[in-house]
Amino acid sequence: MPSDGIIVRVSGVHKFFTRGSEQVDVLNDLNLEVPEGEFLALMGPSGSGKTTLLNLIAGLDRPSQGEVRVGGQLISKMSESQLARWRTRNIGFVFQFYHLLPVMTAYENVELPLLLLPLSAAQRRRQVLTTLELVGLTNRDRHRPGQLSGGQQQRVGIARAIVTDPSLIVADEPTGDLDAKSADEILDLLCELREAMQKTILLVTHDARAAQRAHRIQYLDKGKLVSTEIELPRAS
Amino acid sequence: MFKYILLIGKNLRRNLLRTTLTALGTMVLVLVVTLVWSVLYLLDGVMAEKGANLKAIVTERWQVPSQMPFAYARTLGEGAARNAGDVRPQDSMTWQFFGGSLEPNKRTREDLVFAFGMEPKKLATMMDDLDNLPAGQSQQLQANIRLMEEKRQAILIGRQRLAEVNKRVGERIKLYGVNFREIDLEFDIIGSLPPGRYDQFAVMNRDYLNEALDNYPRTHAGKKHPMADKSLNLVWVRVPDREQFSRVADQIARSPLYSDPAVKCETASSGIAAFLDAYRDLIWGLRWLLSPAILVTLSLVISNAISISVRERRLEMAVLKVLGFRPGQLLILVLGEALLIGISAGLLSAGATYFVVNKWLGGVALPIGFFPVFFIPVNALWWGVGIGTVTSLSGSIMPALSAGTVKVSDVFSKVA
Ligand SMILES: Nc1ncnc2c1ncn2[C@@H]1O[C@H](COP(=O)(O)OP(=O)(O)OP(=O)(O)O)[C@@H](O)[C@H]1O
Ligand SMILES: [Mg+2]
Repeated sequence: MPSDGIIVRVSGVHKFFTRGSEQVDVLNDLNLEVPEGEFLALMGPSGSGKTTLLNLIAGLDRPSQGEVRVGGQLISKMSESQLARWRTRNIGFVFQFYHLLPVMTAYENVELPLLLLPLSAAQRRRQVLTTLELVGLTNRDRHRPGQLSGGQQQRVGIARAIVTDPSLIVADEPTGDLDAKSADEILDLLCELREAMQKTILLVTHDARAAQRAHRIQYLDKGKLVSTEIELPRAS
Repeated sequence: MFKYILLIGKNLRRNLLRTTLTALGTMVLVLVVTLVWSVLYLLDGVMAEKGANLKAIVTERWQVPSQMPFAYARTLGEGAARNAGDVRPQDSMTWQFFGGSLEPNKRTREDLVFAFGMEPKKLATMMDDLDNLPAGQSQQLQANIRLMEEKRQAILIGRQRLAEVNKRVGERIKLYGVNFREIDLEFDIIGSLPPGRYDQFAVMNRDYLNEALDNYPRTHAGKKHPMADKSLNLVWVRVPDREQFSRVADQIARSPLYSDPAVKCETASSGIAAFLDAYRDLIWGLRWLLSPAILVTLSLVISNAISISVRERRLEMAVLKVLGFRPGQLLILVLGEALLIGISAGLLSAGATYFVVNKWLGGVALPIGFFPVFFIPVNALWWGVGIGTVTSLSGSIMPALSAGTVKVSDVFSKVA
């Protein structure tokens, strides 16, 4: 861990995609620092580059220019397989549409990332069960995604994200597909996890109510973070 | 490793219909290839000539079945050697086929005995499989040979035949000539032949037959037996190598002794090769067109199924990548799926073919040529595995590579 307590440091990042001959600038000289343990909400209009930024931080893509450091490591320079290894231990990714593997049970979905670590079957089992308990799904471990409600599926998704005990959780509109009640429960869960386990959470959302739960909201517009930073009262 | 197999199994289970169809397609094609290769294997085995200790076969040149005058026997046995420098065979034997029935005018299977007329001592030196018997059987055979030399009426009958004609060793029988009409001979059954390829045949002393033919005119107003000059069917001569074989064959071809009828000298496989020459194009086609075409088809079938399943799962592949699966690991997952289908279907199909053809049907009657039945070689099991491996690998390598290189940001940008 870096000594200055900054877990994510994005500096001078440009990102463009080429579509045919055309170059689409998505992020433009973007800078962002996220202190350890913070709950940061990222908002902005559709197409503003929120997912792109999240992908860069999660090591799913590389910036066209600039540097991304996470936990003191310069991930923008890592090779693809280095990044893959690094992701398993350091990043928990939560998707809007859960993206659970339909052929597997909740238990097996949560176990999936652990298969990449040198753990015995007993260790894996203990860790999966603990995590399922943490997200409140102990008695649903044998269900397949199709047999679970959206909120329950997202809990499985969160369990899968945290089962390897990463320090950074990135969630791309995790409540975007849920009704208000389930969304609240998911947000409660994220807050609990942050508090109980000192996780840093990066949340992309369109929902202002969801963003209210964060310590800080950043707006992304036309490839830049807009400076209107509002320090919110801490969510409980 | 085990974890991978579990994952692969789960993926295959998700579309059972497709998995089953792919496996069935593989099995049918492996079946066809196995049959084709079995035939080719059989032919190759027959044509592959022993380089040493060749047996050359001398037969009538233009006619089947071959019927030569017995007068040819002595000189043919010497390879028609006349001059000082000529090659003489190491050993030789004559074949005269005598078919007889236990009942006059009856020719049912339960009454027929088919005997090879030969010099008894050649039984131990020239016959396939009888020259390297286990000690006990060999002693028995030598004793029987001595008996046959002393007693011309002696006959050895293979076990199965003996049982089928319902006779026992020690009995006296009379065989009414079938191919040698009116040559009816009495025999003493002094023993049976060593178990194996001769179970259905009998062996008699050639002198007994020739004597009967010589005596025929005495009882038939001086007229020769119609088969008198046609009683010699084959002569075998043993030569040490191909070079000697071709010299002996040449000596026989040039000799003025064998003009009516003319004779030819071949090795076991050159005769078959000449016969198979008629089917050369067909065999070539089987080997170089049909088999490769099947293998390519098989790869395409597997490739198609795997490509579809990879395309369907691009999103899942991307999710696995997000979780930290490396490109190589995704590649292995996809290859593993194909290999699992390919290898198990290949093994299953070849194994089933092997058992059904060999154990259940007892071989398949082959329409071409004189091979009575053919069997699937045990090697076919490896061919099945091999075909399954190679085709599923070549069919899945492209889809597997594409799965490994799925770009997460592309996949999700289209979803979002
Ligand atoms: N892999 C890609 N190739 C080409 N263009 C891309 C790619 N990923 C994103 N883009 C483009 O970059 C821009 C930003 O996309 P991004 O998904 O980051 O937006 P977003 O803020 O997450 O939007 P939303 O709120 O709709 O999820 C869009 O114009 C999108 O079309
Ligand atoms: Mg997005």
